[in-house]
Amino acid sequence: MSNYFYVAPEQLIKDRAEFAQKGIARGRSIVAAIYDVGVVMVAENPSASLYKISEIYDRIAFAGVGKYNEFDRLREAGIRWADGTGYTYSREDVDARALANFYAQHLGDMFTEGQKPLEVEILVSQLGNKFRPTKLYRIAYEGTISDEEDFAVLGGDAETIKGRFADLEVGHLSLSQTLKNAVSALAGPGRQLPVGDLEVGVLEDRGERRTFARLDDEQIARLLS
Amino acid sequence: MGLPLFDAQSDPGPSFVSFADIAGLTRTPTSSDLSAHATTVVAVRFADGVVMVADRQATSYYVANRDVRKIEAADRYTALAISGSAARGLEFIRLAQLSFEHYEKMTDSSLSLEGKANYLSPLIQRNNLTTTLVVLPLLAGWDLAHQRGRIFEYDGAGGCYERQDFSVIGSGTPFADSTLRLGFQTDMSRDDALALAALAIYEAADNDPSTGGPDFVRNIFPMMVTLTSEGFRELDQETAANTFRRINDRRAESGGVAGGTLR
Repeated sequence: MSNYFYVAPEQLIKDRAEFAQKGIARGRSIVAAIYDVGVVMVAENPSASLYKISEIYDRIAFAGVGKYNEFDRLREAGIRWADGTGYTYSREDVDARALANFYAQHLGDMFTEGQKPLEVEILVSQLGNKFRPTKLYRIAYEGTISDEEDFAVLGGDAETIKGRFADLEVGHLSLSQTLKNAVSALAGPGRQLPVGDLEVGVLEDRGERRTFARLDDEQIARLLS
Repeated sequence: MGLPLFDAQSDPGPSFVSFADIAGLTRTPTSSDLSAHATTVVAVRFADGVVMVADRQATSYYVANRDVRKIEAADRYTALAISGSAARGLEFIRLAQLSFEHYEKMTDSSLSLEGKANYLSPLIQRNNLTTTLVVLPLLAGWDLAHQRGRIFEYDGAGGCYERQDFSVIGSGTPFADSTLRLGFQTDMSRDDALALAALAIYEAADNDPSTGGPDFVRNIFPMMVTLTSEGFRELDQETAANTFRRINDRRAESGGVAGGTLR
């Protein structure tokens, strides 16, 4: 029989939080912002195939930072949940808030009861229409869900990047301007981010059911010029 | 439904059907023959792709519905048509559409056209071997990798066969098929292929009581679709009306006699 040492719950929570924060801080950040006619998500990601930003449903996108295998599993669960809900009821009934709540519950459960907390921070964004508002839900490693207005920053250096982006982005600008601001906020002073290191996804109405689009290097370069 | 998380061993992968089975979303089919049946769709390959034409009638003991859509875009470059049980067929289209999109989102890449064709085989097999509500679909599309139009037909047990010329499904098959056998030429123009496919549906509607022809009273005309490098395109009802009016006028002139010239 093994012996357990008593650990105060405050200490346990603190240790777990520190562990998760450390894991998240190792990765690069993501800026997501609402622009005049859509939502743009910008990640610093040198990999051209391991994505941090993805389509979940017709008007819902996902972004994650931290451990890739952990947030990718959440991404897959989100797609399954959305497709399953749309199949059972109707495409109109798939709502980002419900999905964000499920994510928050799961992350909260893993934080308190899991072997270890998930080292991820995720974002569920929704492009609004007549029936639903445009929304950015940020969900932290311990399950805290926050309804971000205008923009959200995920990742280790979030507060600094947030400050830099808030100084640049005034109101809902064009996609090109918002992208420029996001890239310069991610880069910080005295650093240039090459186009090849950027991953950009947008939610925008183009007269089709599915609104998510991944921008290629050429499109990103054109918007940044 | 809660958040569907799986560990690596039990993960259903990018197949929506595998996931839906685990999550209990697919309903168990039961037997009944008291349901509407959808009939007669043709697909014809031509120089730059595939054309498809389908009648609009669902029939049980009487006409159940006059404006059924039996061809739907399964995705941008693929069309899926159904015959047999209308209820199971429409469900089948929904499941196929969702499956292709699900795969695309999960893996960030599209299934190949052949991959889509093969994916449907076990679905057809499962439906047809467990119920009397038989569904026979027809898959046609523009193959982006091989840059040509392709047609895949199925037998009742889910066997998948690629056709190089044309394919017909539904109760009007003998008449539509005969028309296509006599009229088909390789590398036809788009307009010739559309005219021939429309004629095949006209013949089927003329001889098979379960196939609906052009309805000049209600202004409902067979669906006409093209699949080319531009993707799935449905022709408007006015074009369909004109196509069928021409055939009808010709047939009226000859007093209903189809023989002589085919066109």
